[in-house]
Parts: sequence; structure tokens; C-alpha cells
Amino acid sequence: MVSQRDREILRDDLRARGTKLSVAEREALLKSYLPDPAELGQKPTPQPIVSERKTPRKTPIRTFLKSQTHYLTYALTHIIFGIVVRLLQAYHAVVDRIFAIVYHHHRTPELIRKDVKNLKRLPQHLSTILTLRKEDDSLAVLMDEVAELAAWSSCSGIPQLSIYEKSGVLKSCIPALHQIITTKLASYYGTPSHQPNLQLYAPHHPVHRSAPLTTNPTLTILLLSSTDGRETLVDLTKTLAEMSQNGKLSPEDITPELVDAEISEITTQPLSMDPTLSDTVLKPEPDLLLVFGPFLKLDGYPPWQLRLTEMYCTGGRSHGLSGDGEAVEYQGYMRGLWHFAGAQMRFGR
Amino acid sequence: MPGSLHMSRLRNWFLASPPAEYAITSLKELLIGAIQQGPVPQHVAFVMDGNRRFARSHGIETVEGHNLGFEALARILEVCYKSGVKVVTIYAFSIENFKRSKFEVDALMEMAKVKLSQMAQHGDLLDRYGAKVRVLGRLDMLKPDVLEAVNKAVDMTSRNGDRVLNICFPYTSRDEITSAIRDTVEDYSTPIEQGRTASRTPFSESHIAHNIRTQSLGSTTPDLHSDSESTSGSSGQDDDAFPRNDSDRIYGSMSSCSSSTTLHLGNQQDPKGVSPPRSVAGSDSPVYVSPETISRQTLNDHMLTKGTPPLDILIRTSGVERLSDFMLWQTHENTEIVFLNVMWPEFDLWHFLPVMLGWQRRISKSRQDPNAEGNFAGDAKSSQENPDAMLWRQGGKVKDI
Repeated sequence: MVSQRDREILRDDLRARGTKLSVAEREALLKSYLPDPAELGQKPTPQPIVSERKTPRKTPIRTFLKSQTHYLTYALTHIIFGIVVRLLQAYHAVVDRIFAIVYHHHRTPELIRKDVKNLKRLPQHLSTILTLRKEDDSLAVLMDEVAELAAWSSCSGIPQLSIYEKSGVLKSCIPALHQIITTKLASYYGTPSHQPNLQLYAPHHPVHRSAPLTTNPTLTILLLSSTDGRETLVDLTKTLAEMSQNGKLSPEDITPELVDAEISEITTQPLSMDPTLSDTVLKPEPDLLLVFGPFLKLDGYPPWQLRLTEMYCTGGRSHGLSGDGEAVEYQGYMRGLWHFAGAQMRFGR
Repeated sequence: MPGSLHMSRLRNWFLASPPAEYAITSLKELLIGAIQQGPVPQHVAFVMDGNRRFARSHGIETVEGHNLGFEALARILEVCYKSGVKVVTIYAFSIENFKRSKFEVDALMEMAKVKLSQMAQHGDLLDRYGAKVRVLGRLDMLKPDVLEAVNKAVDMTSRNGDRVLNICFPYTSRDEITSAIRDTVEDYSTPIEQGRTASRTPFSESHIAHNIRTQSLGSTTPDLHSDSESTSGSSGQDDDAFPRNDSDRIYGSMSSCSSSTTLHLGNQQDPKGVSPPRSVAGSDSPVYVSPETISRQTLNDHMLTKGTPPLDILIRTSGVERLSDFMLWQTHENTEIVFLNVMWPEFDLWHFLPVMLGWQRRISKSRQDPNAEGNFAGDAKSSQENPDAMLWRQGGKVKDI
């Protein structure tokens, strides 16, 4: 740590645009804070520079004691940290249960609408990261979670929802998933005339939608997997390289705008081709990313779209280590929306 | 209010007194030494956010806030490098930041210039500690004098050892990804020498195509010359000349389609002189590396962060919870993203320590139980860390009791 006096000297120097101190003075000031080069385990340095500090190297006992102290501190800190984390986890678990009781949707769209009524803003495009668990019925659980999320989004007035699941297993059962979501929506809304229009699709897959188009609002669900992330950028590069090899494109033509247009098209393509839905504008960049997991990691989420996305992790408050991904719960979803409404949007940091 | 002000002054006086300063310094040393005992992240990134808001809330000039931010950076760099972090990447200036007031941009540039040129003055010190400075970003957007300071500092430290400080100077991640794509495309668009291709494919595809054409045309060999010349502009002719796999077809149809619609003009403008030499003599046509060999690793190697270990922790201060175009590609799979609710000038070991401990805890757990969530597949860390994990298991037992 730099002492107060030296800090003031350095600050004065900086204010004078580095003219106050000479090179030698500054080095003299720094010298006492620099570690002994010999301790860094670097290549052997010329000895005469550190002649005054020869003695400590000759004390194996002191070095041993030092390393033992460090190890002891390491163990102690981690034990204390572990206890604190456990206590926080317990506290948050209790708070979460209370929230879960106070805020329950009871499968009533009116209640959900009431919960979001006072929020200053809502995401137009909500994205979530879900994890496939390891049990036998994991796929059924996952599909049910997607259906619940779809129902909550539709009730709270979010028109666009994208679900990221790493393995892409959801993409292989789009019709079944569509059926499950429709059933879930029916259990929330009742008769089909009140239900929103549902359209479900994945990149490079056709749109799957409910047959009769009503005047109700539309809910669009996009399924993503890890192949839509870096792999898509690699595919784009392959195509561009081939075009360039064939002389159809010069590398100077590759701009962020071009890449953006191409990448966005993949996630919005099937809808923009449909003339009946020309009025639904899809945002390729999500406004809010909800991570249902113990800590915030992206796990292969498509990188390009995340530029200005707010992120919220439902388990992020407690360094949770509950093993598998957190359960998708209504209170976690609501907390994410509230958090989003409290944040202020600023461009360019 | 005067009471609290008085108290804070008293506290500052106490903290600045030599014994307290000594105690805090030793405590920090001890904690850093302790962190070293466990697994240590190899690559940490910081978004230094909140300098302006800190200045506003404390009633000081914005520029002064940035200066304090620089001190915080020096503090945290010391902690990182002492505890064994190899690479630190900081987001110093976004391309978007050029939109800020000219006064502030100029002040920031001035600060960067002063700091970098000061660093260059201490060349031998840097050599001794083996830190390497790299500046990532669009250097062409800098003013000449700043650029000169940047180049000097980078050159000076380029031979140094394994500790790296990446300064993202005028940087956005989308720009970086685009540049990586562009550079890859450029690499793949330079023909490789004939000698190397011979080993890859024993037969020349263009030669085969030539033979087939000769057979089908019968005795019209002399006509071939003019024939190929007349169709040299078409993409079908071109495609025959290049080695390609079956899976290429998907993109082949796509690219030829788009070229006919959008890039037709570009194709027309292309001087005729380029294509005829390519198709006149089959054996002389340029041969490229197949685009199918492009992988994630290829793009990785074209990113500005090439050669650095994968990002382990990304920390953003000031409570803003988005990446703001920073390290989008690198923050990909197992990076732990942490948003802290402190302003950058206040950021210190005390905020960094919980993050570090949480990370260590998670890594140790995932090593004990490789099936657990958050398993780091790329556990290619040095084997000397394994004993630590074993020892930590004992620690875990102690705790369980």
C-alpha cells in the first residue's frame, strides 16, 4: 500500500502532467514498494542491484514459516468465507420462500399483470439461459419450464422471448414443445379466444405457430443453442472467405454493419419472410438476460447479440453452490424484471 | 453532517498514521500470500466504470475522478500480479467514448500519454519485473502523439516475460470480432504455393476438369482457349477450379446467390485483368486453403487477445450490469461475470477478495467433483495446483464438522 505522503507527491506530479518529478526521483519513490525481484521466480537478475537485501534469502526457516502462515490464512479465510456464504444462502433461501408465497401467480394473468404494472419499463425481448438437468425426466422438466416462462412473459406483456439451452435438445422437439406451451397457456388464459398467438421457431427451422390468427397479441419464442454462438460466426467467416477466394468480395467490405446484418438475419429470418407478419418487428438483441443458475456465466450464449444486454442472475446474490441450475421460479423471474426496471439505460458506458 | 465529516477526517488521519498504514499493508500482504495458496485465475478483465459518477458524487472534477481511477488500477494490478494472475485486461476507452465532450476525451488522452511515456522512461524497471504491455484496439483512431507514446511503451516491453497487461484502448468487441473475421478472410484469400498443395491432393482438379472438357468437346482443343476466356466472368467456371468438399455446397449455393443479387456491382467493377490469368492456364490458377478448415480456434487466433489464457473472471464496477461491447467473444463459456456495486476509484482488495475466494471455492469444488455444475473442462492447469485441491478437501472436511 502506498503511504499517504507518497501518494500526494505522485498526485501533484500527475497534475503537473508528469513534469514535477525527474525520472530518478520517481524511481526512488517507487523503490520501497517494489517486491524483491528474486522472489518473483524470474530469470536470475543481476545481483548488484539489490545488494542491501541479501540476508532474507538465507533464512529457510523464515521462508518456511511464511509459507505456512500463508497456507493457514488461506484455509482460515476459506472456512470463514464458507460459513458466511452458507449463512447468506440460508438467509436468501428464506427470503426467496417468503417472496414465493407473497408473489405467486396462481395461474391468473390479472395477478401477473398487476405485479408488473408499476414497473417503469419492461424488456421487449427477454432472453433466458436454462440448463438441462441430469435426471431421467429432465427434458420434460425443461419443456415445462419453457412453457411457464412463455406464460409469464405473455401475461406480463413481453412480446418476445428467447430460450438458450446449450445442447439444443429443444430444437429437436419443436412440435411437442408447441403443444405443451399451448396447453400451459390454456391453463392460464382459459378459452382459446383469449390466448395469445404463439409462434415458436429456431434458427434454420421453420416457424411453428398456432393455426387461427386472432387479434390477440403475439408471443414469439426463439430457441437458441450453443451452435448459434461462436459456431455461427465461424460459418459466416467460412462463407465470406469462400466469397473472397472467388473474387466476389473484398475483405475491406467486411464491416461491423455487415456482420450485424447477417447475424441478425439468422434469428429473425423465418418471420421476416412471412408477409402476414410484416408488422411484428423483432429485436435481435435481447434487453434482459435472465440466468437461472448459481452464478453468472454465459455458457456459450451467442456473443454478438449481448452487446448492451442487461444481465441478471437469479442465484447471483449468494455465490450459490447448489450444484445444478436453479429452478425456474416465478419470484426469480419477477426479481429480474424489477431489477431491470430499476436500472438506467446509458449508451457508451 | 459536520459530525460525520469530522469523523471521516479523524478516520483518514488514523488510517494515514504510520502504525495503521503498516498494519494494513501487512494484512494485505498476508491475504495476497494466502490467495496464492489456492487455484489462481490466469486471466482477469476489468471494466473500469464509475470514475465520472464518483467524481460527481464527491464534488470533484471529472478529470480528477479519472486520476483516482488510475490509482485504483495501480492498486488492483499490484494485487493481481502479486497473487499470480498472468494476464489482466482492462477496458480503458471505448470507441463509443469518442462521443463524450472534447475536453474529457483530450484529458483522458493526455493522461494515457503521460502514463505511457512515464512507463517508457522506467524501461529497466519494467524489464526487471517482466511485465508486458499490449494495447488492443483501433490504434488508427488515436492522435499521432498518443500513438507514438503507445508504440514506444509496447515496443519497450515486448520482450518481457509472462505477465501481461492488455489495455483496450479505443476498443469495442464487435469491432474486434469483425477485424478477426476480416483478417481470417484475408489470410484465406492469399493463394498458397503450388508445392504445398501437391501433397494435399495428388491430382489437380483443374487438370481433371480440363481433361473432361477436352473429352466432351471432342477435337475442339484449340477452341478451349477462347471458350474459357469468354466465360471467365461467370462464377460456375470459377467454382470448378477450386477444391471444395461436399458440405461446401450449402454455402456454395448461398454465396453464388448473394453475389448475383447484392455484390454484382462489385464483380463488375473487378478489373477483367484479374480473372483471365486465373483461368487461361489451369495449372497456374491460384489455390487456396479450403475455408472449411476455419474453426473457432482460427478466429480465436485472430482476436486481439490471441495467445492469452481464456478469461476466468470479468469484473465490472459501478453496478451497471451489461458488458457494453467488451470481451464479447472471450466472455464465452466459463467466464464468471461479476457486477460490483462500487465505483471504480473505490475499488480495492476488499472488494476483489470475495470474488477471488468465491472463484477459488467453486474451482476447488468442481475439481473434487468433476460431474458437478460449473465443471471446467479445460482443466489444463499446472499439476502443481492439484495438491492444493487435495489439501483443500481436508479443509472442507474440517468445515463440515
